[in-house]
Amino acid sequence: MKQFKPVPLLSLRRVGVGLLAATTLFSMVACSQNTNSNTSASSTANPNDVTLTVRGCTPQNPLLPTDTNETCGGNILDASEAKLIHYNSTTAAPELDIAQSITTTDAITWDIKLKQGYKFQDGTEVKAQNFVNAWNWGAYGPNAQLNSYFFAMIKGYDDEQCTDAKCSTKPKADTMSGLKVVNDYEFTITCSSPTSNLETRLGYTAFAPQPDSFFADTSANKANFTKAPIAAGPYQVTQVSDTQFTLKKFAGYSGKYPGVVGTLIFKVYTDMNTAYADVVANNLDLDDTIPSDDLVGNLWQKDLVQADGSPRNGSATTGVIDVLSFAPAKVDPGMADIRIREALSMAIDRASITKTVFNGARTPATGWVSPVVDGYKAGACGQWCTYDAAEAKQLYQAAGGYPGGTINLWINGDGGHGPWATAVCNSIKNTLGLNCVVQTTPDFATLRDKINNRQLTGMYRGSWQMDYPSIENFLTPIYATGASSNDTDYSNPTFDSLLKQAAAQTDPDKANEVYQQAEALLGKDMPTTPLWYRATQFGWSDKIKSIKMTPFSEFDFGSVVLN
Amino acid sequence: MTEIVTAATPRPDEPASREQARSLWTDAWDIMRRRPIFWIAMVLIVVFVLMAVWPALFRADNPLLPNMCLLERARQAPGVGGSAFGFDSQGCSIYDQTIYGARASILVGIITTIVASVFGAILGTIAGYLEGWVDAVLSRIADVFFALPLLLGAIVIMTALPTPSSPSTGNYWLSIFRVVLAMALLGWPYPFRIMRSAVIQVKPNEYVLAARALGASPLRMVTSHVVPNSLSPVIVVATNDLGSYIATEATLSFLGVGLPSWIVSWGGSISNASSLGLIRQAPFMLLFPSLFLCLTILSFIMLGEVVRDALDPKLR
Repeated sequence: MKQFKPVPLLSLRRVGVGLLAATTLFSMVACSQNTNSNTSASSTANPNDVTLTVRGCTPQNPLLPTDTNETCGGNILDASEAKLIHYNSTTAAPELDIAQSITTTDAITWDIKLKQGYKFQDGTEVKAQNFVNAWNWGAYGPNAQLNSYFFAMIKGYDDEQCTDAKCSTKPKADTMSGLKVVNDYEFTITCSSPTSNLETRLGYTAFAPQPDSFFADTSANKANFTKAPIAAGPYQVTQVSDTQFTLKKFAGYSGKYPGVVGTLIFKVYTDMNTAYADVVANNLDLDDTIPSDDLVGNLWQKDLVQADGSPRNGSATTGVIDVLSFAPAKVDPGMADIRIREALSMAIDRASITKTVFNGARTPATGWVSPVVDGYKAGACGQWCTYDAAEAKQLYQAAGGYPGGTINLWINGDGGHGPWATAVCNSIKNTLGLNCVVQTTPDFATLRDKINNRQLTGMYRGSWQMDYPSIENFLTPIYATGASSNDTDYSNPTFDSLLKQAAAQTDPDKANEVYQQAEALLGKDMPTTPLWYRATQFGWSDKIKSIKMTPFSEFDFGSVVLN
Repeated sequence: MTEIVTAATPRPDEPASREQARSLWTDAWDIMRRRPIFWIAMVLIVVFVLMAVWPALFRADNPLLPNMCLLERARQAPGVGGSAFGFDSQGCSIYDQTIYGARASILVGIITTIVASVFGAILGTIAGYLEGWVDAVLSRIADVFFALPLLLGAIVIMTALPTPSSPSTGNYWLSIFRVVLAMALLGWPYPFRIMRSAVIQVKPNEYVLAARALGASPLRMVTSHVVPNSLSPVIVVATNDLGSYIATEATLSFLGVGLPSWIVSWGGSISNASSLGLIRQAPFMLLFPSLFLCLTILSFIMLGEVVRDALDPKLR
């Protein structure tokens, strides 16, 4: 699940921020002196000889598409994998990549034809069997792949699952009955229930095909394969170590989205301040994590300029939404009254906070769905997401106030969330007169544990990064009854049935319309309150003239223009 | 020769002359009050203690109340908008925060010093007076704690102790004592060692032997003869340590493991202000709490120096 992940760019402890702030200051001063020595590099060089260093972080798991659900590994895999679908790097709209066509008549049975001659990096051809086998392997319970739930809509998925946590009895089947190979270049997917946005989902990392050599590898959790993974994308992973990942351009790449430069090196940084100092000093070519403090007063835009004064920084709206979850009524009875939740939501001055704390790096949210996805409609949250001190106070008093007079706002301490959480708390305190305290857990895992065990009262932060660009991905996994990331125990039968209806539509526009009706219900029930939509700020070195960032907060290496 | 006899054996009811009555403490006071640095330190300490006890005296408002932090005035420079020290990144008055931050820092410093010194001194007296295996055991235990670096050990202890979550008076004191416990646990071996050696030094003196010959109980000997005469080095050490405890508390809060965020403290304020971007944009946010912290530590260390000079017979 890419659910509520810590913003990896901010995965720094407070310990680190303070101590390193001082060292960065010095290193920046030191580095700035040798800036001029490498400015004139590569103006006429062959792009194939150019190496770009990219800020990376340590993947949680080996580089397996079905086992990578965080961005550290995901960024590397997305540069090296090709899938049936490629998301447009500007609009996130699905475009056919390995697939020749994807067709359905009832949103249940899907027929997928492949392009012929699409090559893996070991020279073998991508065939239907490579998809079917990879998905069967990824969904198979005993393989314990983190992304296996992505295959849950395929018929026969349940037969592949373990019956208990230890998997003491083997599942009934090791293949899914819903996947059938027609011939080398065609296969069919049968879903267990209508899934109107299947095509959009197929671009997610988990749906990547695997070459025959993957299945030949008998080592535990494919350890040998993941040391030098073979994929079908524009870059091949040639070196995997603790400190860096080297990717070389794949000469035989068959798709429409080739890379520009010859080599990419993902350098592992544990501190975003160091990465930032390095990109300012042109020692790092691509940095997708600008520390929030350097956003203050647009400092980063002054730091990151080319010698001729043109910018070497950018900002892209991405499919991430930050929400504030309200504790379920059975954990915190004080939250049961909807007027309390509405008053709290109205008491947050989103416009001021995004402007002052985030310096415009966030946009105030008006609903529960990110604006970059298909099906987005503004305003589902309505008046409750608009700051109105007088009405908030009135509602709050009418509801009799929050018992105890002090409300908690829970955040994880390793994600740089302190400043906005304090600002939200101050906004609530100033508007409602309710004392609001920011509670910090040492790290993200602790916060998740406490949320999963339903130990937290008051409010807690949640961020959702989309897996695939569809309105559905912002609703079903988080708000459907019993869904995997339903942190607030939200349950509304009407909402659930609307989701089912929408999934059964074969016309995407109709489906979106029904999803929007479901989203509107969230505005009536307020299980969470939307805070803001994210934009990712990024910077590059003077080797590069420009580069695009996708709505998935990843660099589009095909869009690199060298200086 | 009557004069000599009179002088040698004064009548019990005759008031002792001024010269004879001079104790160690009157001597020390005489030395201290002649040192300007003593008065500078004392003035600063009185100001900071007043700040801790009675922040309203300095016309500061409680920064935790509603409407004290307004985003629209975030990062305003000193003098603009009515705050002498400016506003921080959340739009809270830095002046209010700095004045209110004194309380936690000074409380933690003083209580830790008292707890560590009293505890260390009592154990030191026991070890020094009894000697033998008691001394051996206590000294080895002290060595164990002495080997742990104060800051690192305190971080470990603070992380292990549960954090009081919601703001209330009870939890305020609980949070203070949490820090005190962590630092006192690692700080007591120092006064312990000093006290132990002082007691061992004092024990063979004639007046102690005389008291023993007169049949005084061990408790009486310790309380009225040994301890009063071995206390001064511990006092010197305690005064000096006070400053370093305040500094350690600030460091712990800076690192986010000391006082919780809902207690205003200098360490917390410095932590909030010390990111690179803010240092470049709003340096005053860092300056004022740091300045106050430095001055407090400095004043206690200056006092410690003066006290040491006054009490140390070798320096007279």
